[in-house]
Amino acid sequence: MLPNLKVENLSSVRSEKVIFDNINFDVMPGQNIEIIGSNGSGKTTLLRTILGLINQDKGQILWLDDNDNYNKFRTFDCFYQGHSLGIKNLLSAQENLRLSSYSFGVSEEKILSSLNRVGIKSHSSFASEMSVGQKKRISIARWLLKDFGIYFIDEPFSALDDQASSLIVEIIEELNAKGASFVITGHRPSEITSNQITLDHEV
Amino acid sequence: MAFRRSSTYITPLIFFLIVISFFPIALSPDQDFLRSLAPGVIWIAALLSSLLAIETIFSEDFRDGTLDEFFISNDPSFVLVFAKVLCHWLVTGFPILLASLISSLILYLPVSSLLPMICSLILGTFFMSLLGAIGAALSLGKSAILSAIIVLPFSIPTLLMGTAAVSSAIDYQDYSGFLLIMGAMLAIGVPGLCLLTVEAILLNYE
Amino acid sequence: MNKIWNYIKNWFIEMGSPPLFFKWSSKILPWLLFISITVFIVGLLWGLFYSPTDYKQGDVYRIIYIHVPSAILGQSIFMFMAICGFITMVWRVKISGMLLKSAAPIGASFTLIALLTGSIWGKPTWGTWWVWDARLTSTLILFFIYAAIIGLHSSIDNKTKADRAISILSLVGIAIIPIIKKSVDWWQTLHQPSTFSLTSAPSMTPDMYQPLLLCVLGFYLIFALLLTMNLRAEVVIREKNRSWVSKQFLNLER
Repeated sequence: MLPNLKVENLSSVRSEKVIFDNINFDVMPGQNIEIIGSNGSGKTTLLRTILGLINQDKGQILWLDDNDNYNKFRTFDCFYQGHSLGIKNLLSAQENLRLSSYSFGVSEEKILSSLNRVGIKSHSSFASEMSVGQKKRISIARWLLKDFGIYFIDEPFSALDDQASSLIVEIIEELNAKGASFVITGHRPSEITSNQITLDHEV
Repeated sequence: MAFRRSSTYITPLIFFLIVISFFPIALSPDQDFLRSLAPGVIWIAALLSSLLAIETIFSEDFRDGTLDEFFISNDPSFVLVFAKVLCHWLVTGFPILLASLISSLILYLPVSSLLPMICSLILGTFFMSLLGAIGAALSLGKSAILSAIIVLPFSIPTLLMGTAAVSSAIDYQDYSGFLLIMGAMLAIGVPGLCLLTVEAILLNYE
Repeated sequence: MNKIWNYIKNWFIEMGSPPLFFKWSSKILPWLLFISITVFIVGLLWGLFYSPTDYKQGDVYRIIYIHVPSAILGQSIFMFMAICGFITMVWRVKISGMLLKSAAPIGASFTLIALLTGSIWGKPTWGTWWVWDARLTSTLILFFIYAAIIGLHSSIDNKTKADRAISILSLVGIAIIPIIKKSVDWWQTLHQPSTFSLTSAPSMTPDMYQPLLLCVLGFYLIFALLLTMNLRAEVVIREKNRSWVSKQFLNLER
């Protein structure tokens, strides 16, 4: 089985300071990778570089396409969730999900069932009235709207209670079974994978 | 979503009217005087309102992470940027048009020039929104005045063409040429400025 | 032929590296200093003191020897900046971004000098310090655009990002500036049906024209000098944490 994503020799320098250097890993379908580091060690920059929001200084990022060749451009759908959750405060939970899925069209039942799965009951109150934990649950619901190939989640476990954490682990395992992979960042190794990359310099 | 927060579309309108009122107050309320000033004054107010309205087009989306979607999704990002600017303009442009109609009344603008005024404002404010989008993207998170300094010099052709259109209509002369030029600027500006706006937004991630 | 081409290509690639650029520019700086100041002073002295007095405007017109080169430089520098900006955006070359940043204040100063000297020329010749004619107005707008670029760069802390930001701005500028000039020109014909053209230079005899050309050349050389000096300073400031800088200036080994 070929890895869906190959990262080779990735290096990034900002303002003459090396943020990360010589990053190499492969993402196999159904397997997860974790990027560990303290605050400011460049985890978010690494995620954004892989996704193409930032240009790298060295190295390449290769995506597997349908003919089993590797391509420099993204060949399948990915999901990205940064520190700010991608949730609009002015919209309700339901409308937020509808917004996220506008480009690929999702039925109302799917939206509602995703919200139920993550434990959000009040579908139509504004997101501004919800707590951070609830907003995180809404953004987790976005993961379920479509079968993405790779999920890039920045610090999924921060600011979550045990119940929500185990919910995430459950959902990740379900999605792994379907062949999706997760690339997540965090401060400490979590239980979803033993594949870790550590970024250790402070920027 | 902009409609949920009514300040998005009310404030450009009120600002426009306030700026317009300053001219008679500071200069002279004489009818003929105001009538001669009217095209220019309305256009200046339209430029400033348009600029200030566009200011925050990206800042909220940048903060709550929704802007990232523009670049992650499969759709070309400059099309998404264009869609966003278009929607923003549709929401803020109509209040400006409405304000201009009210202003034409209080500045004694003759009725013959209303149609060219509306047309030129439609074309002009949309171009301003495109320019303002670049200004907003370049000065994301910084003061609005910086964005104004960046955008205003580039809006001078629009200002000249727009006021010319209205002035020549007052004199019953042909104004279609000016509208054509403004339309041409839009036609070239839409792809070019949207592409540059995308680059400018991406800068903020580094 | 190929050898020359390769030599030029290699030179370009080498100049992209800050320490190499610094070494090369240190070598040519004394020559550049000498040549540019010589041409500049000779041209100015010739024009200001030794060229014939104009029939209509007397000796006042001599300010043209400062005014015209400054105006030409102000505009050429903007074009230069736009090209640098394009290179920076498309090929992500760092040195072109720094070139752009170093050129901006020089261009702004020349534009300002053009405006001021134009003003000084105007007072005795046409009786007024300022007039909203086409050329003065578009030069004023050009100055605003320069100011916007300089202001934008200083407001962004990450200087590489700032370089790219002003690259974008200079690209928008180079596209809009012709439109601005055309529309201001046209606006002027609307409002100035006056019989005298305010920006007409006196018709020039060769002995007036030659010093002008020399002055323009001198100004270009001075631009090259100032640009090199600015760029050197910029390179040193940006790379101050690198070892080659301390070796260069403090003779220290880090």
